[in-house]
Amino acid sequence: MVDAVSPDRPLAVELRGVCKWYDEFQALKDIDLQVRQGERTVVCGPSGSGKSTMIRCINRLEEHHGGEIRINGESVELYEARPHLIRQRVGMVFQQFNLFSHMTVVENCCLGPIKALKLGRAEARERAMHYLEKVRIPEQADKYPSQLSGGQQQRVAIARALCMSPQIMLFDEPTSALDPEMIQEVLEAMIALAEDGMTMICVTHEMGFARTVADSVVFMDRGEIVEQAPPSEFFTAPRSERTRAFLDKIL
Amino acid sequence: MRQKNRSRYLGDLLIYLAIIGAALWGLRIATTAQAYNWQWYNVPQYLYKIHEGVVYPGPLLRGLITTMQISAGAMVIAAVLGLLVAVLGMSGSRVGRILARGYIEVVRNIPILVLLFLFYFVVAPIFGLGRFASGMLTLALYEAAFAAEIYRAGIEGVPRGQREAAAAVGLTRAQQMRYVVLPQSIPLILPPMTNLAINLIKHSAIVSVIAIFDLANEGRNVISETFMVFEVWFTVALVYLVITTALSFLATGLERRFARSRASARAR
Amino acid sequence: MSAGRPGQRARWRPGAVDWLLLVGLAVFAGYVYYQLRHVLVYRWDWQSVLQFFAYRDEAGEWQQNLLLAGLEATLRIAIFSAILSLVLGLVLALMRVSSRLWPRMVARTYVELVRNTPPLVFLFIFYFFISAQLFPVLGIDRVIAALAESDSALVLWLLGDPRLVENLVVGILCLSCFEAAYVSEVLRAGIESVGKDQREGALAVGLTGTQTMWHVVLPQAVRIVIPALVGQLITLVKDTSIMSIISIQELAFSAQEVAVSTDRVFEVWILVALIYFVICYALSALSRRLELRRAVGR
Ligand SMILES: Nc1ncnc2c1ncn2[C@@H]1O[C@H](COP(=O)(O)OP(=O)(O)OP(=O)(O)O)[C@@H](O)[C@H]1O
Ligand SMILES: [Mg+2]
Repeated sequence: MVDAVSPDRPLAVELRGVCKWYDEFQALKDIDLQVRQGERTVVCGPSGSGKSTMIRCINRLEEHHGGEIRINGESVELYEARPHLIRQRVGMVFQQFNLFSHMTVVENCCLGPIKALKLGRAEARERAMHYLEKVRIPEQADKYPSQLSGGQQQRVAIARALCMSPQIMLFDEPTSALDPEMIQEVLEAMIALAEDGMTMICVTHEMGFARTVADSVVFMDRGEIVEQAPPSEFFTAPRSERTRAFLDKIL
Repeated sequence: MRQKNRSRYLGDLLIYLAIIGAALWGLRIATTAQAYNWQWYNVPQYLYKIHEGVVYPGPLLRGLITTMQISAGAMVIAAVLGLLVAVLGMSGSRVGRILARGYIEVVRNIPILVLLFLFYFVVAPIFGLGRFASGMLTLALYEAAFAAEIYRAGIEGVPRGQREAAAAVGLTRAQQMRYVVLPQSIPLILPPMTNLAINLIKHSAIVSVIAIFDLANEGRNVISETFMVFEVWFTVALVYLVITTALSFLATGLERRFARSRASARAR
Repeated sequence: MSAGRPGQRARWRPGAVDWLLLVGLAVFAGYVYYQLRHVLVYRWDWQSVLQFFAYRDEAGEWQQNLLLAGLEATLRIAIFSAILSLVLGLVLALMRVSSRLWPRMVARTYVELVRNTPPLVFLFIFYFFISAQLFPVLGIDRVIAALAESDSALVLWLLGDPRLVENLVVGILCLSCFEAAYVSEVLRAGIESVGKDQREGALAVGLTGTQTMWHVVLPQAVRIVIPALVGQLITLVKDTSIMSIISIQELAFSAQEVAVSTDRVFEVWILVALIYFVICYALSALSRRLELRRAVGR
């Protein structure tokens, strides 16, 4: 079990009235979200509800059109011209892993540290091995992504993100492209990360994970945050009808 | 069943040979009716000469060397310029995108011959370019527009997630391109680029109209001296054919190799 | 930043690359201007070139001149060659997908020969073969001469200036034979992209192989390849200019004549390039529209 986060910690991520449009379609409507340092937030909701869009706005893979997004108190728009500076501090793990297929596992992990953080090769490799051990696949370091199972690939992707020593980690359905028997190994890596006190925002439908790890669960539907509550409340006494309907479907 | 198939193939092969033979025979009939004087024996001396045991290239081979020089130079420029245009076309800079788009549209919608005249008669005097440079630059500019499309397709052929993941580990746009996207697009770019080189060599014959002595022009010269129209053109065509066929084998070879290495990477 | 719909964000702020390119462009334009004005001291004279399109004779009537005649010939060649190369290309394509080996081999040989020799070389060979060998042997030159003599309005309307009919016909034949190879590749790709299920469906309702091809496969294939065919048409229009090298009197040929006789080299080539651009750009716009419509229709 992971310790709860005291409410006087500073805010790591703050969204205020965030809106986003794809042409005429509004994907995010007035999103408010606060995540304190060390806090673990799980985001769930039906397909197309804007979960991915929201977390991709946080590390500027998408641009938002209204409202404000702050990271450690700084507005992301200060980095309009250099979004890579934000991404060096905010790690991300994708549903489809997105490992660089022309590079070995360890090269995948070293690319960011060497090119973005300007670490030396030896140091970067050392760091990569450290995190690969952490996700328990150091022996695969010199293989290519296509030679690994899905679960292994996703753990490499986590290690790759960690190599940048991010202050915040974003996960976009990290287990939903995996076969059931591989989900657990990835979840374990994420739990270990949570135990180390990492600030995390996870889009996931693994409700077991949400129950044990999350400080707060967010339910999104049609581009809005419908409900946000600690897991104990969220699962036992959902306030909104939509949340209840959703939970009935997936539990 | 097998047996029947084989005899049918053999029959078809014979029909094929008969048709080719008939075509050649028809050519002979038609030409002799016009009192055309075939002199194949005279052709080799225009390819090469042997003097005191040393082989010297004749006009046709010298023309071939010029053709290869101009094509190679143009190919290098086209490859670099094409990349520049492709990158500008996909960049965040609006001026860059407009320039790239405009360049591609202009070059694609004007015949290469007119482009060559435009270059030789209009651009060259302004920039003080010589004959050879005009020819080479025209070819390069023309093919660069096509190269840009090849690069673009190659770059867009790399899944978007790759680029996003590169962004997510904090690389700049240029770094994403340089370390993640471009290396993966090479298998998609190289085979069509070989085809581009083939086209370039074929199009290079056009420079003979501004009196550059490439293979086609040397062919015309030899003909005007000897009136061996068919022999010389067939020889010239054959030389082009050998080069372009060799390159197209290279293209299919590359394509197969990349396909195979991808497949085996997946299987491992 | 307060709420802003995407429309409001569309305001453009040029970045570093934009400025760099703008400055580069300005320098380039400045250099060209300086060279023209002060080094080459070029005096523009569009008037004397424009009169080579059309001029007013003594009676005050507009008369067509070289460039306009050239443009007309270019369009004639392009239209007739487009039709002829489509027919020839279809024959070649059907041969390429034949179940028998020999038609496949014959068509393949022709297509590869054409595609692997420079257009210039192919045209020289064909020009010489058709006009100097084939026409006299088959007696076509006499037919053409008769055509040229006849002053039937139809012939005049179709083929234009009687004195140049032979020139035109040779040009059309050469270009058609050349383009047919490329057209056949486009059509073949279309035929092969029509699924096996379509073919089997047609065979299953009792159509013969030929009926299947004509009524089921080809209609679908043609619809698929129409944008590509328009693209090939653009290439064909551009390739008409190469015909000037074998003295077919189309636009590029007249342009060379006018450039030599007036010495207004800059004006002539800029104008002629512009004409080709307008024609081809219109066709590419059409091709894009067709492609778009097909994408939407799917
Ligand atoms: N690039 C895009 N262009 C246009 N519309 C988009 C784009 N990306 C997402 N959308 C739309 O925005 C909405 C939210 O998409 P998003 O990917 O955030 O949903 P999601 O909650 O992550 O769904 P899922 O569980 O399927 O991943 C969807 O309706 C989607 O169609
Ligand atoms: Mg999603």
